[in-house]
Amino acid sequence: MKAKKQKRQGDFQKIQLKVGKKKPKAENATNVNFKSKAIHLPEQLKHADSGPTTHRQLDIKDLLSKLHHINSNIKQGALVGLRVLLSAQPTLIELHASAVLSEVAALFTDKDGSVRAAAVRLLRFIAQCISAERVAPFFPLLSAHLTCAMTHISEAIQEDALRVLDVLLEHYPGLLSQRHTVLLTNFLELISQKRKAGTGQDKSGKGGFALTISTNRSVTAQQWRLTVLLRLGSFLQAVVEERPLEEGVTSMIGLGMWAGEKGSVTSVDVSWEEHVFGKGRIQVFENSGAVPTSHSTYRLRPDSKAVAGMNKELCSAETVQGFAGTLVPLMLEIWVEAAGGDRVQTDSGHLLSAEAMALMFQILTILQLLRRLTPQRDQQDILDAWFRNSYLTDFKHHFMKNFPYGLLEVARHRKKADGKRIRQQQVAAGTVAGGNVEPLALNVTLCQVMVTLSLRGQDHVEAEDADWLGPIRGFIRETLSSGGKLSSKHLAALLEVVWRMIVTQRSRVVTDDLLQAVYVQYQQRNLAVSVRTLLLHFFSQLYIQEHQNHPHIARSRILARWLASLPVQLVQLGSRNPQLSAQLLETIHPAAARGNKDLLQSLQKNACNIYDPQEGSVVVLPVDSQKRLVQILHFLPTFPAELLACLSQVCNTGRVSASLATMLVRTIHLRSPLSGWSSSSQDVPVKDVDYLSFCFTTLTGFSSEMLQALQDTDEDGLMPSSTLSPLSVFTTTLEQFLHHWDVVEEVCHCLDSLGSRAQCFDVIQNAIIKNLCGLVVVPDCVCAAILRCVPRLLDVNFLPSDTLLHFLSDCCLSMLSLLLQLEQSARKRDAVWEACFAALSTVPRLLRLVLQSLHVGDLCEEELPVLAQILSLLLQHTQLRNHMMANASLLQHIIQDLTHFYGGETREQWLTDLLYCYSVTLSGHRANMGMRDIY
Amino acid sequence: MSAPVEVVLSADSAGQLFNCAVFDPHSGSEFLSYRGGNTSSRSLTVLNGEYILGAQLGKNFINVWEIQRKDQLQQKIVCPGIVTCLCASPDGLYVLAGIAEAIYLWEMSTGNLLAILSRHYQDVSCIRFTDDSSHFVSGGKDNLALIWNLSSVVQLDSSRTPEPCHILSRHSLPITDIHCGLMGPQARVATASLDQTVKVWEVSSGEMLLSVLFDVAIMSVTFDPCEYFLFCGGSDGNIFQVSLCSTSLSRDKTFQTDSDGNQVFKGHRNLVTCLSVSMDGTVLLSGSNDETVRMWDVQSKQCIWSINHKGPVTNAVIIPAPANMFLADSHPAVPLPRFSRHLNPSEQGDGTGSGGMCLRLRANTQVTSETSREVHCCCCESVVTVS
Repeated sequence: MKAKKQKRQGDFQKIQLKVGKKKPKAENATNVNFKSKAIHLPEQLKHADSGPTTHRQLDIKDLLSKLHHINSNIKQGALVGLRVLLSAQPTLIELHASAVLSEVAALFTDKDGSVRAAAVRLLRFIAQCISAERVAPFFPLLSAHLTCAMTHISEAIQEDALRVLDVLLEHYPGLLSQRHTVLLTNFLELISQKRKAGTGQDKSGKGGFALTISTNRSVTAQQWRLTVLLRLGSFLQAVVEERPLEEGVTSMIGLGMWAGEKGSVTSVDVSWEEHVFGKGRIQVFENSGAVPTSHSTYRLRPDSKAVAGMNKELCSAETVQGFAGTLVPLMLEIWVEAAGGDRVQTDSGHLLSAEAMALMFQILTILQLLRRLTPQRDQQDILDAWFRNSYLTDFKHHFMKNFPYGLLEVARHRKKADGKRIRQQQVAAGTVAGGNVEPLALNVTLCQVMVTLSLRGQDHVEAEDADWLGPIRGFIRETLSSGGKLSSKHLAALLEVVWRMIVTQRSRVVTDDLLQAVYVQYQQRNLAVSVRTLLLHFFSQLYIQEHQNHPHIARSRILARWLASLPVQLVQLGSRNPQLSAQLLETIHPAAARGNKDLLQSLQKNACNIYDPQEGSVVVLPVDSQKRLVQILHFLPTFPAELLACLSQVCNTGRVSASLATMLVRTIHLRSPLSGWSSSSQDVPVKDVDYLSFCFTTLTGFSSEMLQALQDTDEDGLMPSSTLSPLSVFTTTLEQFLHHWDVVEEVCHCLDSLGSRAQCFDVIQNAIIKNLCGLVVVPDCVCAAILRCVPRLLDVNFLPSDTLLHFLSDCCLSMLSLLLQLEQSARKRDAVWEACFAALSTVPRLLRLVLQSLHVGDLCEEELPVLAQILSLLLQHTQLRNHMMANASLLQHIIQDLTHFYGGETREQWLTDLLYCYSVTLSGHRANMGMRDIY
Repeated sequence: MSAPVEVVLSADSAGQLFNCAVFDPHSGSEFLSYRGGNTSSRSLTVLNGEYILGAQLGKNFINVWEIQRKDQLQQKIVCPGIVTCLCASPDGLYVLAGIAEAIYLWEMSTGNLLAILSRHYQDVSCIRFTDDSSHFVSGGKDNLALIWNLSSVVQLDSSRTPEPCHILSRHSLPITDIHCGLMGPQARVATASLDQTVKVWEVSSGEMLLSVLFDVAIMSVTFDPCEYFLFCGGSDGNIFQVSLCSTSLSRDKTFQTDSDGNQVFKGHRNLVTCLSVSMDGTVLLSGSNDETVRMWDVQSKQCIWSINHKGPVTNAVIIPAPANMFLADSHPAVPLPRFSRHLNPSEQGDGTGSGGMCLRLRANTQVTSETSREVHCCCCESVVTVS
């Protein structure tokens, strides 16, 4: 019992609670100590295998679907997400281009401004990544949405549409320009509205549109129009520049009307060497076979297809006229309003605010572009005439009245309080207007537009136009001759105006007046190279292109003065600017070819400086220019002796290449009446005496002073004279020798083809005797040249004088002994041997003289092997063998002496060789003799 | 002996033996010779198969022979200046002469001087017609070659000066020779120049098709009739053959190396001044300043024969043998009129054929080149009958 009780006590123990103590926790108490959190799922639990995603794990489909969301914040977020995703994964763009572009394009017309802005930003990003041809299939869609946005009723959307347009213009000008039919009307509707049918047309035919003014835009009407016109301008620019150039279009970009025509047929250029060795295979295809090229002037039947294409392509005069007919009155109206607004503030009409100036500049740019829309020259003339008929009075009234415009200093006249507002406005306007426009640019553009309206010169028109052409002329004259530096862009525009005025007005006074101004500009010092080039180009094109058609240009004194100054400039320029020199030569050459008197006179006067062998242009300029200079020589009226002396040195100093030197020699040869080419001319450009002395000087390659100086020098290159080498030979460098060798070849050829060989030889013989025979030291190239030239010119029935022959034998012997010492170059050896061989084989007496001069008894021991080598060399050659045999007794004598004087015990190799050669030659000869005896 | 199909006509500047002579192209034997004076370079021409015209060297007149009367000088046409080059149109209706910088155009039926074209800046060195006489090309010492349309030049519109249809200005030194290919206005023209190049152009568009640069100045140029080869006579006496079509045939000829000598005709020792290829393209005639005329076989490039002249050869050409040449009793169908020396025939006192009526195209008629030529021929024929 007791045990049972104790157990029960254990089960139900009473816990006593005491005051002041903490109440112990009940064992079954629930712990409520926990926190709870909401679950967010911003990212999907997706894995990478379903394609790339943003950092929120949204893939491209999710993002695209979100673009249809009603909430604009979500749409904007999706657009931003797309941009992030695509920039991280550029490959996605190409994959999803169609979906992305169509969705983005749909947002161009979104109600919310921020969404549109984001869409534009995304579009800009995409446009950077995809090339034009890849966008081309989606472009109809894009442009449809663009059109939609441009014609939207909400003005904010219209404004943003222009941003879209900007992006497209920047990246896809070609694609956009194909959509011109729709877009051009859209532009018109942005600033105007169609008149009601009843009132529109009868109002003095000012086109079917009237300007609109809406009051609730964020910018003023003027600024809005300016932004629209700016876009229109750049759009037209795109149309003009992106036009396919296949239809025989004169490219009018860049230098405008005096830019040259580019041929589309690429010609084949080959040189003879390449052709011979089979490298340059020629395949000239029948270009004008069945289908004539576009450049062909023959049209067997009207090309119907091209005409149809033209209408669509906005390059016929009619389509442009149609568009211009609505646009130009609108632009005039805009200008009238803007100018009227300005005039309230100031009295003088020629000062414009920056805004008005930008507006006018834009209007003028568009007018220019309208004209350039038609590529063909005849169409352009039609258009010019149409503009003149329709708008000349308007233009005169509105634009020319206050012609030289200046900038109105706005800030100075206003109060400070206003200033702030203005600045804000300007910032707003500046962002759209694309910066300020200089007054000079404005004026120049106005000139450009106006001169296109002037007609090609008839007398009555001239008087008619004088009232507005006068100020333009004055402006141009002042601008050019004021001495200020002009940027090349403005100058190009000004020169275009000058060109047009000169060509159209056909008056000598005007021409000289304007050209004088240009010439003043040209004469300034320190012009930038681009400006200088531009001016040069202007003058040269004026001379080359228009010279023939317009006698008033041909007779212009300024042009003549300019031409005459060219050779002087060439000399002054030296080697400082090869490009500029090349450009000068580009004008000098045709002018010389045309026989321009002023130029030729000046050229003649400066010829000695240009062709100076030390620092003349012909040696300091690059190869192409050198070649031109040599070609110009062909047109020089006379060649005085000093010039020929210069030229001969030019040939030999080695600063022009050997091929060019030969060309030079040939030119002189052709100009000389001795060559028999130009028989008709009665004046003699090169006197015969001068020509022959030129040839001789070039042949020797050293002037008499240089030879004289050589006699006294003690240089390393000098080989002392000895019995075996009677002349002391001055060895030239290999380069010089080979250069001279090439020149000699040409000179020999020239002398060879002169009419009377006997006389020619006589002259050369006298020259050699007089100038060279007394010399002790002779350069090796001179020896080689003489040895080469004499046998070529020698006639069979002409006997050379003994003095010459003795000199030649000395030369020959010296050369032969030089030959044995030459190891440096095979070419030089060949050349020297060739010369000696030719001389010895053609002049038998020479060989005898050489052999006679070999006195074995005078030789020292070391020279004996050299002599033996020379002899065996001569014996080895088959062609010389007969001549050697003619002197057999002499030869035998020498060889006997040689063996006699050589006292060595052992038989040296050289002696063995010689004796072997000798016996072979002799036996061969005897065999021949024997054969002859038999028959 | 049957009459030859083609004959060689050549002249030299000495004129000791004859002014010009006719040779057999096969053997080089002389058939005929025409005496009196001597002929300057590129100015010997056969008019209508009935007359031979040659400009006197250094003098201001043109010698004329009837082609069958070899020993008698028919007439001397006095010109305003020294004639530098001369060319008769293949249809025999016009004669062109280069006199200093100007080109004079005469109409053969009346002898009227139709036009004086002065677009060259320096002496005209060569004039050639296209084979259908619709165009002509003139080259001058001012580096320019001009292509003219004949029908636009002869227009009876005094207010407008005739303009060349194309200006070929890519040579940099005087032009020495011109050759016109076949095919009328669709022909190709080769020009040779002292600037060491030969250039091939298209007549219709004036575009350059080919330019070949040589080591030496080129004095003469010609095509073969198929225009497979271009032959260029150099100032060093070599004649270069440029192949204009790289046929696959050459691939089979592996044994022949395309070496240097293979494409050069060597033999002359001085400027090669004239070149001409026969109708069948097998032989090439060349005349040179070394006083020889040589005939070459094109295939093997060997010299077949050579004739020595007494002076530099000025003209050498292979022409189809004119019908009248070997018939001593024949007469020209049309008598040669007096050539007028002034542009406007009405001002002349002794006007030719006072009843003559002149029909020419007006400026504004819009016709294509093909039809204009036909119309033009009709006009000229009518003139002939009236006068």
